[in-house]
Amino acid sequence: MILNLSKIHIFSWFWAILSVQLLFACSHVASSPPAAKISGESKDEIVLAFLWEDFDDKGFDPTMGWNYYGPPLFQSTLLRRNENLELVNDLAQNYTISSDRKIWTFKIREDVRFSDGQPLTAEDVAYTFNQTKESGGLLDLSVLDKAVVKGNYEVELHLKRPQITFINQIASLGIVPKHAHNKNYFRNPIGSGPYRLVQWNPGEQIIAEANPYYYGTPANIKRLVILLTLEDATFAAAKAGRVDVARIPPSLAIQQIPGMNLYAHRSDGHAGLMLPYIPNTGKKTSQGYPIGNDVTADPAIRQAVNYAINRQVLVDAILEGYGSPAYTPVSGMPWEEAKAKIQDADANKAKQILAAAGWEDKNGDGILEKQGLKAEFSILYPAKDSVRQGLALAVAQMLKPIGIQVNAEGRSWKEIERRLHSDVVLYVLGTYDQLILYNLYHSSVAQGNWQNPGYYANSVVDQNLDRGMTAASETEARLFWQKIQWDGQTGITTKGDAASTWLVSPDQTYFVNGCLDLGKQKQVTHNYTGSILANVTSWKWNCD
Amino acid sequence: MKHIWRFLLQKFLHFLLLLVALSVISFVLVGLSPVNPIDAYIGADVMRVGAEQRELIAQRWGLDQPMTTRFFLWLGQLLQGNLGTSMTYNQTVSQVIAERFEASLALMGLAWLFSGAFGVLLGVVAGAKEGSLIDRVIRIYAYTLASAPAFWIALLLLIIFSVTLQVTPICCAKPPGILAADVTLWQKLHHLLLPALTLSVIGVANIALHTREKLIEILHSNYALFAYAQGETTTGVVLHHGLRNVALPAITLQFASLGELFGGSVLIEKVFNYPGLGNATVQAALRSDVPLLLGIVFFSATFVFIGNTLADLSYQVIDPRIRFGKSA
Repeated sequence: MILNLSKIHIFSWFWAILSVQLLFACSHVASSPPAAKISGESKDEIVLAFLWEDFDDKGFDPTMGWNYYGPPLFQSTLLRRNENLELVNDLAQNYTISSDRKIWTFKIREDVRFSDGQPLTAEDVAYTFNQTKESGGLLDLSVLDKAVVKGNYEVELHLKRPQITFINQIASLGIVPKHAHNKNYFRNPIGSGPYRLVQWNPGEQIIAEANPYYYGTPANIKRLVILLTLEDATFAAAKAGRVDVARIPPSLAIQQIPGMNLYAHRSDGHAGLMLPYIPNTGKKTSQGYPIGNDVTADPAIRQAVNYAINRQVLVDAILEGYGSPAYTPVSGMPWEEAKAKIQDADANKAKQILAAAGWEDKNGDGILEKQGLKAEFSILYPAKDSVRQGLALAVAQMLKPIGIQVNAEGRSWKEIERRLHSDVVLYVLGTYDQLILYNLYHSSVAQGNWQNPGYYANSVVDQNLDRGMTAASETEARLFWQKIQWDGQTGITTKGDAASTWLVSPDQTYFVNGCLDLGKQKQVTHNYTGSILANVTSWKWNCD
Repeated sequence: MKHIWRFLLQKFLHFLLLLVALSVISFVLVGLSPVNPIDAYIGADVMRVGAEQRELIAQRWGLDQPMTTRFFLWLGQLLQGNLGTSMTYNQTVSQVIAERFEASLALMGLAWLFSGAFGVLLGVVAGAKEGSLIDRVIRIYAYTLASAPAFWIALLLLIIFSVTLQVTPICCAKPPGILAADVTLWQKLHHLLLPALTLSVIGVANIALHTREKLIEILHSNYALFAYAQGETTTGVVLHHGLRNVALPAITLQFASLGELFGGSVLIEKVFNYPGLGNATVQAALRSDVPLLLGIVFFSATFVFIGNTLADLSYQVIDPRIRFGKSA
């Protein structure tokens, strides 16, 4: 989700900054790489640049939403996901879910201290959850009724209704100390995470050092300096030898920096086309925006689009090879349904489907028609996003030979919002939280905003989503997340309703100093997901 | 003395009217803006934040109220001396401005001094040597600066000095990894140099060209001719008669340029990733953060207004003809 392209931002960005980036991109190709390191870091301190500028404004208060889809660094969570996206205990020793699935009971570790030396107790956990629920921040805890202290180290979370995806919120929420949480906490975070904040210069850098009270494996790297620079400044700094870990966009990953290795790791980001599912009957949203599209409402069109696109070509051409084809909104996740995969780049199959549904080119203009309706639709994307532009234009090229006319239109978010339900929109989403499946495909959430924009509705899918949400465990829920993709009869993917067209999942690409061992394979792989910081405590510096 | 108090009172009333007008206009403009502040606040989390939570966010920031209600609530707060809380930074507006302005002040102050000093110097030299090669060089230089956008110059300088030559830093107000207490004055100046130089460009051309015109006018005046007739050299005329007269337009421009300086710093700070008020202004506008935006508008208005008032007052010192109490 730290993906720059995964932002559903409503911002229209300063074009001046864009030109900064262009100029920079050109200048780097020409400038010769400096060999020696300039900053005086030892093996105890590393400099990182993660393109975190978005997390920079609001500071580090978990009750207002601080986390970056990984460990919150300064705080720790009850549960967390490891680098393979498996749930593991962190502060929790164990937990149970009541038979009505509304009460979650957590036993927490008794040896945990905050970075100010005070012990972490059930009081702090309950306080954090109750406070977050009321704060109106970015973490949505509206399903939580209340958190109750049951003992010094036991806490109960009471839900209003069963919801297994609440586990993701639990794995996101860093526990804050009740005694030290005040309105200045966001800049002086005290927590039980592997690092503690030393200094934060908004817009510039974050300096963190290993937390001496940390209960887990102590961090090998004692000091982290995290630069809050934009893409091109980050790349320039990496080239100048001032950064040890630099997150860079895939378009820059084809370049080489002496002394640094490229790490490409699979992210939870997925790009796909949201297709209006119902025909245009003049229905409008509460804000007066039109709903429905007669062309994409035809299942033959949706399926043909899915079969005709060559996803590997998209990965190679638009993402420079740093990504993988996506056939479902959760491609590469443990809860992907393998049977939902199709053989794509199959123009003949697409043509057959269209012909069988009565689409034919009567006037010889290369575009199919059916009862006076032309096989034509627009794909909307935010105009300033070059990756989405590339995807939209490539899709248009790929659909032309099968007789579907696609108009790729770069627009402002505001205009996209108005046409969200009547045109095809290119979404890029981080989808590790299964709640997003619910919010993309459950018929009840189609209410004229970003959730289920196409007004998709399938009662079998609805049922499976509901059963997934109310499952007793993540393992049990996984079955239903798979069924909604393709259960052998129906589902959201191509063989079923083809409710949307998923295209690619972009990798996250990093340049990493050759001396720094991240405990992961150095070669470019597409194997693991999750945050690069998931195992930060085991990073090692291998040179003198 | 009586006159000066009347002058200040008048100015103060003007200022109050200006603030009222500014707040109304800003509120109306933000109200018409297409940016949905809740969407902007939620950003990338849009798929994980449900309707109930959106409501809660709206309530917390008062966004569920109509614009007029919000205006009067805000006005009530303001009368108690409270500028409100910024959505973007989760911090009171006065805190945000105070912190950010500290960084901007150094940048703008340095740029202001540079542009004043360079501008007057170049203008005087060009005017004294009217028509010469050096005059032409200075004019071409000034015209080029006047017509080049500041951010573009910033980019050029950044690419030349920071990326290619690597003599100046790439970004920020201090070197990475160093604690605030350990940053030396030299390091701070090193990081300020390029942005301040670029920002000063906004003022230099203006002041140089106006100073040049004024000096030429003076050198052709009757009293200059009279001085020459008494055996005064050009240098003497410039020093004894020119500078005092030239100072008036230069100072007016210098103080009036505070507004442009403010606007220029927005772009410059963005290019150099310098954490000042300019960056905060951009964020406030992009996210429809009304309290912060208004706070900054108020602050910058005050800043510019004080600049202009100082210019007015400085005439008292420089030019006896427009001193208060002299019957005009």
